[in-house]
Amino acid sequence: MFKMKTPLAAGFAAFAAIALTAGCASTESTAGADGKVDYTKMSSTELAEHLIFEANGFRLDMPTQEGGTVRDRHIQDDLQKMCTETRNKPSPEQASKIIADARATIKYPEGGIKLGDWQKGRELAWSGFGFRVGHNNDDHSKRDVGGNCYNCHQMATDRVGGNIGPSLTGYGKMRNYSDAGLKFAYEVVYNSHAYFPCTHMPRFGAKGLLGDQAIADILAYLYDPASPVNK
Amino acid sequence: MIRKLLIAIPLAAAMASTAYAADEKTPTEVLRGLIGSVDSLYLTQSAQNLMMMDDNPALWTVDEGEELFHTPRGPNNVTLEGCDFGKGPGVLKGAVAELPRYFADTDRVMDLESRLVHCMTTLQGFSLDDKAVKQRHGSGSDQMKLQSYISAQSNGMPWNPPLRHPLEIAMRDAGEAIFYRRSGPLDFNCATCHGATGKRIRASVLPNISVPQEWTKAISWPAFRVGHQNVRSTEHRVRGCFWQMRHGQNVPGSDASIAVISFWTDAARGQPAILPDMKR
Repeated sequence: MFKMKTPLAAGFAAFAAIALTAGCASTESTAGADGKVDYTKMSSTELAEHLIFEANGFRLDMPTQEGGTVRDRHIQDDLQKMCTETRNKPSPEQASKIIADARATIKYPEGGIKLGDWQKGRELAWSGFGFRVGHNNDDHSKRDVGGNCYNCHQMATDRVGGNIGPSLTGYGKMRNYSDAGLKFAYEVVYNSHAYFPCTHMPRFGAKGLLGDQAIADILAYLYDPASPVNK
Repeated sequence: MIRKLLIAIPLAAAMASTAYAADEKTPTEVLRGLIGSVDSLYLTQSAQNLMMMDDNPALWTVDEGEELFHTPRGPNNVTLEGCDFGKGPGVLKGAVAELPRYFADTDRVMDLESRLVHCMTTLQGFSLDDKAVKQRHGSGSDQMKLQSYISAQSNGMPWNPPLRHPLEIAMRDAGEAIFYRRSGPLDFNCATCHGATGKRIRASVLPNISVPQEWTKAISWPAFRVGHQNVRSTEHRVRGCFWQMRHGQNVPGSDASIAVISFWTDAARGQPAILPDMKR
């Protein structure tokens, strides 16, 4: 699932693991005590960057599941920057660019979009496991990474879902299980910004959070007539 | 555990009836007042917690903290009565409602935890590796006992962190930038969960930072978390959010953490603190 299994990345991860062990001994920050930087001379954004990256704000050397470190996680990509700067309200021009860039990230499975196993998809949709590091680390070798879907969406109503995103109850049925609807669902799961620029929804495919099979299983949960979502 | 609860509940109930003067509200009364002032699903989501709040196990933690605070401790064998939490040495009344703030002796903006650590290490002479300082979490830790006691002296008082010193303003503004900064594999920021009213993660109603009447409950720590069966701190909440956002682990007492706390306390300005609180 991770594309960074290169010798370089592995070496980096090993190095980070050593740094992490050493880093655990000290708990207090000495930031701000050196007198070298004047916080009041910086813009709020500059100071935020300084506090995150230069002032011992985070355990930046901790290795992450995607191969890299916490430092890498805090470095914003273009999309994250634009959505931060606009507080998720991009201008029409920015929105067009976000949509175009997001569309370009979407890759389709060989042989077309297919439904997987809705029962597996149901558990993946419920699970919030994966990618957490810090006082507890999610070990991806022990459990499949979940989709976190229920955190924000209502799906089958026997479990309580959140409402940060729209309800997905009856998703496939309401679309008559059409191919166009399935393609749309795939694209939204893969990179939702292709339709909703600066959405809260993670880029599950584009960021490698879920693999092809997991996405197919979750789509089956949404789109299989036998799935409780459609009952 | 059950035996402990059996002891704790009557004790806490007895304290709740005696610890507050006639003109002072209990934490439950503060919360009820807020519920009456605004239509908030967040404030009303747990009828059970509201019912249990007069028997909040954190009241026991407050009591233990009071004893610790006034006991001579550490290599220097002194109490914490000489510690200045911003309103003068030993003045606790309302001090937490005005944190984080700038302290001239350290030339830093500090939150409750970092200030307490400062006093324990400088006044009492503890080292950072002593358990009293190092263990930050759990109802049984000195940190949680002391923080609960100190904070309870601000119950019902409006949040009013000073924004006079340039560093206080800079830290609050940087905290806002961090709050809204999207990053990590899932692209989240704090506002993903705390930017709208009536939103839920599964069944949990989330507080909106733009509604100060509900936001004050969100930032009222220490609080007994029923799901954890432990009293938890502000820094514990910050850590949990960064973990859930998949950002990574923040360093307690770092300026990044204190900046976020400065911003979120300012967002509750004017609304009364609920200390100690009880949360799901």
